[in-house]
Amino acid sequence: MIEENITYRQFAWKQFKKNKPALVSFYILILLVLLAVLSPIIANDQPLYMKYKDTSFYPAFETMFNETASGEVIENEDTINFQFQNIDWRTVQLESVYWPLIAYSPNTIDKYNRDYAHPNFPQRLKNYKGVIVELPRGLRHYLGTDKLGRDIASGLIYGTRISLLVGIISMGIAVVIGLILGAAAGYFGNDGLTLSRSQYWLTWTGVFIAYFYGFYTRSLALEQAFNDGIIQGVFSLFLSLIIAALIILTISFIGRKIAIGSFLKKEVSIPIDAIVSRIIEVLNSMPILILIISVSAIISEKSLWVLMIIIGLTGWTGVARLIRAEMLRIKQMEYIEAGKVLGFSNYRIIVKHALPNGLAPIFVSFAFGVASAILTESGLSFLGVGVPDDVVTWGSLLSRGRAEFEAWWLVIYPGVAIFITITVYNLIGEGLRDALDPKHKK
Amino acid sequence: MIVISLLAFVISLNSPTDPVERLVNSAVNESDLSSESSASEELRQEVRKKLGLDLPVFYINLSSLAESDTLYRIAERSHQENLSKLTKLYGNWSEIQAYYSSLKNLEKAVGQFKADSSLTATYSSNKLTTYKNKSILGAKSLFELNDDNKIIEQISVLDTLYQLRLFSSLNPILKIVKLKYSKIKRHTTNWKNYIPTIQFNGFLNQYHLWLFGDSDRNRGGVIRGDFGKSYIDNKSVGDKMLEMFPYSFFLVIISIILAYLISIPLGIYSAYKKDTLFDNVVSILVFMLYSLPSFFVATWLLYQFSNPDNLLWFPSNGVKNPATYNNDWSWYDMDSIKHQAPYFVLPIIAFTYSSFAFTNRIMRVSMIDVLGADYIRTARAKGLSERHVILKHGLRNGLLPIITMFSNVFPAAIGGSVILETIFGIPGMGGAVYEAILGIDIPMIVAVFTLTGALTVTGYLISDVLYAIVDPRISYSKK
Repeated sequence: MIEENITYRQFAWKQFKKNKPALVSFYILILLVLLAVLSPIIANDQPLYMKYKDTSFYPAFETMFNETASGEVIENEDTINFQFQNIDWRTVQLESVYWPLIAYSPNTIDKYNRDYAHPNFPQRLKNYKGVIVELPRGLRHYLGTDKLGRDIASGLIYGTRISLLVGIISMGIAVVIGLILGAAAGYFGNDGLTLSRSQYWLTWTGVFIAYFYGFYTRSLALEQAFNDGIIQGVFSLFLSLIIAALIILTISFIGRKIAIGSFLKKEVSIPIDAIVSRIIEVLNSMPILILIISVSAIISEKSLWVLMIIIGLTGWTGVARLIRAEMLRIKQMEYIEAGKVLGFSNYRIIVKHALPNGLAPIFVSFAFGVASAILTESGLSFLGVGVPDDVVTWGSLLSRGRAEFEAWWLVIYPGVAIFITITVYNLIGEGLRDALDPKHKK
Repeated sequence: MIVISLLAFVISLNSPTDPVERLVNSAVNESDLSSESSASEELRQEVRKKLGLDLPVFYINLSSLAESDTLYRIAERSHQENLSKLTKLYGNWSEIQAYYSSLKNLEKAVGQFKADSSLTATYSSNKLTTYKNKSILGAKSLFELNDDNKIIEQISVLDTLYQLRLFSSLNPILKIVKLKYSKIKRHTTNWKNYIPTIQFNGFLNQYHLWLFGDSDRNRGGVIRGDFGKSYIDNKSVGDKMLEMFPYSFFLVIISIILAYLISIPLGIYSAYKKDTLFDNVVSILVFMLYSLPSFFVATWLLYQFSNPDNLLWFPSNGVKNPATYNNDWSWYDMDSIKHQAPYFVLPIIAFTYSSFAFTNRIMRVSMIDVLGADYIRTARAKGLSERHVILKHGLRNGLLPIITMFSNVFPAAIGGSVILETIFGIPGMGGAVYEAILGIDIPMIVAVFTLTGALTVTGYLISDVLYAIVDPRISYSKK
């Protein structure tokens, strides 16, 4: 066979395509992403299009960005103003209407189908004449309802959003932390990073001073900013971080400048590898689930973002270990040595030359990590810890099923959804591992 | 372990509720506003002393020059927080302290306020209570305000109220408060906030007390197994843990042993029969199991096997101390075991399942690696029986990754027990931690946290020992 002149990326993609389960999983993942992105159009209790008293409306789109969107109709020469959200359009006589695939939002309470409406049995609707009739086909609860009459199918669609978001964002945080710490630990080892004694000690004091001015004296301002709103809060936090970083850099710079004399100039090495390895050990030796639960217990406000950040902060050890091992290998390569001889800075060597060659295992680890992050999230929301009560996730759907054994649809469907997602990520992970490893070349 | 203890301590420190308030409230039933203050003040101090909250937090702490070094002595946490905010705004602790003590005076005076009977006659009793409550609430709310406008507004509200002849005795006290507050604003020393200081508190601090205990305060300290008292029922956390620990420990250990007993032979066999139908079926099955969350499996098991409409083979929950079923039973009676067994079946399946798929996959992969090695071919070439080759030469090497996994399986199983114990209603540590979180019972959470950390470290130790047993090249003795 003639060896084509292809890049590594093309080669990996070709290998990946040969792995049929992984390829199918990849397409399923794209489908899941589409579902997540389009969920307000697929499942919504507002019609996509409707004609009401000779006026055309697009309620689903109008309420997407503005929950209190309202419309006007003219009846008997009076203008009637109404909010889309306040009206159950199923019970209104409309001239023409196009419903979304699932005509319910995850938190819509359908009071005529309370107490676990069975997916296959007749479901009820009180129509505009005030008569209770069987629910028309297009408006059915395809996967049944829960105790309060909330639609399960709709919850599943919106749950896709949450699980993808949690998986990707928390692993994104984890990968960033893992990359930085792992690369530093692997590349510098225990004696690779040296500073002059003055700079070393001044940097440490700088850290304390930076904490003091960046966070301690600003704590009141920070709290006020977070009370004003999450965006102001994040902005204020960012400001604090900048202040802290500036202080550390300045003091460290001063330390470098005043390194005069043999005592101050003496080189001190920072055992980065030892520090990072110890942190990894400590994190690994703690039951992560209990750690996350404890932390979310002390944060009184339930928020998905907090959850993602916690999962990210605890999930980076795998990535860090992989990158560290890769770095130990790459460090010995000739091209790194060449870079050092050419006088490149450590930063440039790591970012431009070493990291790109060690990235392949990260993709694999990312895929598996997303799977486990989704598992953690669904476990937590199953327990009702850390996830806000009005956010519908697969785990919270499943936990509703615990109350009533009759309602198997509350257990099976979310379970299958979690199962499919996790399997997809795991298969993609395996496919990537085979594809990115040149040893598997056939 | 030290790090874990520190972490647990930090968690306990940042709890959103004030434990003193809760303990005091559980001790004193809600009484009406006025009579509460003086009685509960002493109680509050007592509880604080018991919890050690009247001490500084750590050996050293970083603060600014403006801040007081005795802030922690103030009894109520909300007051502490508010005072520290005021300090950050105005930077003048001595004035703030004066303001605080004037507020305290006001509160006391308002609490003890008894109107002249000659004056009360002119008001209806309804109106009198409204006025009184208004003055009490006004005085109390001043403790929690730090915004300039709001304080002034509140003071003026009280001022108009005290213009009434009824409250004339309170008016001078309010005047002092007003004076002190204006003094704070006049003598702001904001620069003090920007000068860092480090305080050394010595051994008499909360962390030291929490960790090592103190005989004067009747506290054993975590190091002697005294985790304090539960906020919910005021029982000793250590005793509660002793009750709960065996359930979790038993389930985790049994399930890990079972998981290893099933997954290791299965892994060996499917590695030996690599790429046959058997291997493919098992691999796909295990892969699917691997992706199913254990809480789903547990719920499904309950739905299938302890459902009156489906199959009622096992009870859905009820793992309890046998003494609750029959007074004469203990754990080891034959009768009690017979009675208890069904309750344990489903939990054990669920627990085993959660670690089984993982270990099986690892085992298969590592066995495939090993069986492809040269020394296996050599062993076969020597004419050893197939059984001998695989179990003697292959297995020992194939086991190493599994043993490494042991240290990871342990924390995972403990973590997983939180969910599974809640589902099956097992009175173990996992379920306890969940309930503790719902009730924000910090000592309990911290105790479970510390104990699981200790267990995990034990897991590491066991896996190290197993290493030495399986692999003769590894030796921990220095030569």
